[in-house]
Amino acid sequence: MEPSNKFLIQEEEVYSGALSCRGCGWALLVRHLSSILGKETVYVVPASCFSIIAGPYPMNELRGTIVHTIFAAAPATATGIRTALDRQGKKDVIVAVLAGDGGTFDIGFQSLSGAATRGENILYVCNNNGAYMNTGIQTSTATPYGAVTTTNPNSNIKKTWPKDLMGIIAAHNIPYAATASLAFMEDLRMKVKKAKETEGFRLLMIDGPCPPGHKTEPDKSIYVARQAVESKLFPLYEVEHHNYRINYFPSEYVPVKECLRVQGRFKHLFKDDSEEILNDIQQHTNDYWDRLRLLESHSFQVKN
Amino acid sequence: MSNSSSIKNKVEKKKKQDAKQYNRHTLKILKGNFAAAEGAKLCRTGFIPAYPITPQTTIVEALSDMVGRGEMDATFINMDSEHSVFAAAMGASLAGERVFTATSGQGLFYAHEVLHAIAHFRLPIVICNVGRPSIPWNIWSDQTDSLSQRDTGWVQFYGESSQEVLDDIIQGYFIAEKLDLPVMIVLDAFYQSHTSENVWVPDINLIDEFLPAKEKTGSEIDVSNPKSYGGLIPTEHYEKFNIKFWQDINKVEDLTNEIGKKFGDLFGREYSAVEAVNIKPETKMILVTLSSITTTARGVLKQHPEVGLLKLRLFKPFPKKSVLKILNHVSNNCIIVNIERNFLGDNEGAIMHEMKRALYGSSFKMYDVYTGLGGKDVPPSTIEKIIRKTFNAPEDVVWIDFE
Ligand SMILES: Cc1ncc(C[n+]2csc(CCOP(=O)(O)OP(=O)(O)O)c2C)c(N)n1
Ligand code: SF4
Ligand SMILES: [Mg+2]
Repeated sequence: MEPSNKFLIQEEEVYSGALSCRGCGWALLVRHLSSILGKETVYVVPASCFSIIAGPYPMNELRGTIVHTIFAAAPATATGIRTALDRQGKKDVIVAVLAGDGGTFDIGFQSLSGAATRGENILYVCNNNGAYMNTGIQTSTATPYGAVTTTNPNSNIKKTWPKDLMGIIAAHNIPYAATASLAFMEDLRMKVKKAKETEGFRLLMIDGPCPPGHKTEPDKSIYVARQAVESKLFPLYEVEHHNYRINYFPSEYVPVKECLRVQGRFKHLFKDDSEEILNDIQQHTNDYWDRLRLLESHSFQVKN
Repeated sequence: MSNSSSIKNKVEKKKKQDAKQYNRHTLKILKGNFAAAEGAKLCRTGFIPAYPITPQTTIVEALSDMVGRGEMDATFINMDSEHSVFAAAMGASLAGERVFTATSGQGLFYAHEVLHAIAHFRLPIVICNVGRPSIPWNIWSDQTDSLSQRDTGWVQFYGESSQEVLDDIIQGYFIAEKLDLPVMIVLDAFYQSHTSENVWVPDINLIDEFLPAKEKTGSEIDVSNPKSYGGLIPTEHYEKFNIKFWQDINKVEDLTNEIGKKFGDLFGREYSAVEAVNIKPETKMILVTLSSITTTARGVLKQHPEVGLLKLRLFKPFPKKSVLKILNHVSNNCIIVNIERNFLGDNEGAIMHEMKRALYGSSFKMYDVYTGLGGKDVPPSTIEKIIRKTFNAPEDVVWIDFE
């Protein structure tokens, strides 16, 4: 592709001074997201790092409207707001949930499933940084196998696989779901635009860098995010109803090790006897990719 | 049965009441839950998020039917839990809609987190709670659920009859929208929710004269004027929200009395925060009641001219001024008996807690009686027993039907 000298963000829809750590995925994500969704958007935010990043009373990092809500019920809060706006003839206003993985995979899971099943006209964005970061890096059901968190310390590392939320949300037969990475910004922006233009329940799953939580250097955030895609730990794909489309096929084989090695939360896997765990993660990653390929080929069969 | 005379009394009273005609009303025979649904419809509520729970369910079923038939212009949504019901109610109310829902027992307990959020977002939501207790499973009449939520910041009214429940919903919206506070109307399971009574249903034009369409306050979500709601509040700012809340919650009692009178002028039925029945300077005993037990006690009073009745219609914020005003004229030798259909895991029940706070510094002797928990019937004979026991062998706290 031709290198471009055009700024991706033409007009900033956030004010300067986001309260995130350096290298935080939330801050970069919301900058891009808001630049596409525009001012006339209602953001619904359950408890998460973004609750803090958005700024304390009476500040608002976003130029749009923000409703901070209880942890377990962002999709339900958004449902009420959506209903009210629709009744007031404001059908074009986007209602967007900005939730973390804890708020999505765990405590908000039922509320999410309810809203998705009802087909609420809501754009749901999950910044998946793989742990409860705001409370200080505790394990969620999105935390990767083998990772260390404060509730799975070195003595007791996480030995369960993360929940396949994308699979579950796809099973809800919603018009649009996609994964996206901050290292693939044009792909991400394309997906945000597509989600913006789709009516019904849409979900974007973003791989969220978090230097303190992943034990990485802030300047490595985008590198790690790119390695996650290249190693197929975080494949980029879209699901429209039950049809899958893979958006990016890594051209070279990058073993998962290469992505895990740079993250301190996996440091212990690179000491002596942990080869088996690394192999398991590689196997699991290969299997998931193979399954995606099958789903994609089947999707096209169904379509044709 | 020993209560035949009081039933006769009730019938007589009912006859008298029925003889009264209300202009611009239609007389209907309604179960309490249907009176509640009528109330929500008449108030032109725009959004009803719903979740089933006995004995509330028929309220939301009726509302869904009314929406389906086009009798009301509202959006009805089947939610995934009461937590989500209240969160959706919160969202729609933040965006300026008039919202109604109903719940009961476990549903109210489950929504606890959201009840606080709604109150402190200052949202004028009105709900009905049909009282029932918690585990072990019990679906029958009990006020433990709503009374355990008394500190969430919601205004609470306890309706004695289906008529009162309907009228309370109308007045509830008035108070809620005037003060930006949520209001909970409580009715008794089955004795009210599933029992048919004569209910005078007001004409819609009467409602419109009393309760104007929901006005904008300027705090609603408005994308052309973006705002931030509910963000982290630094300690130096936090109290100012509580102080504002405190100032407004302190206005509820007066407003209840004021608009109860206005309601009377317009609808022909006057209401106040509390009601004194047969309370005179020489009264020897006062029974303090909530909801339908009040009706039973009214009947028993006929045989006990020395006993009075203090019905608490407004329970939260506790109508201290009104209670004191009534008791001011009563001899200090009068004993006060609180009748508790709730158990909050403490020695004394909720009414006693509040009455003691209200009467701090006065010398009335006060007793507490637990009765009718988990739906156990409280017939006139139980009220008689309470009166006898407290006159002859009083105990500070007694479980009256467990002697
Ligand atoms: C009911 C409830 N339980 C717990 C919390 C505490 N809490 C606040 S934020 C948070 C972590 C959020 O994690 P996640 O959703 O992954 O977002 P992140 O902070 O990682 O961006 C927790 C546990 C809460 N606010 N509410
Ligand atoms: S802890 Fe992680 S998610 Fe939270 S602000 Fe810092 S970098 Fe962002
Ligand atoms: Mg997280």
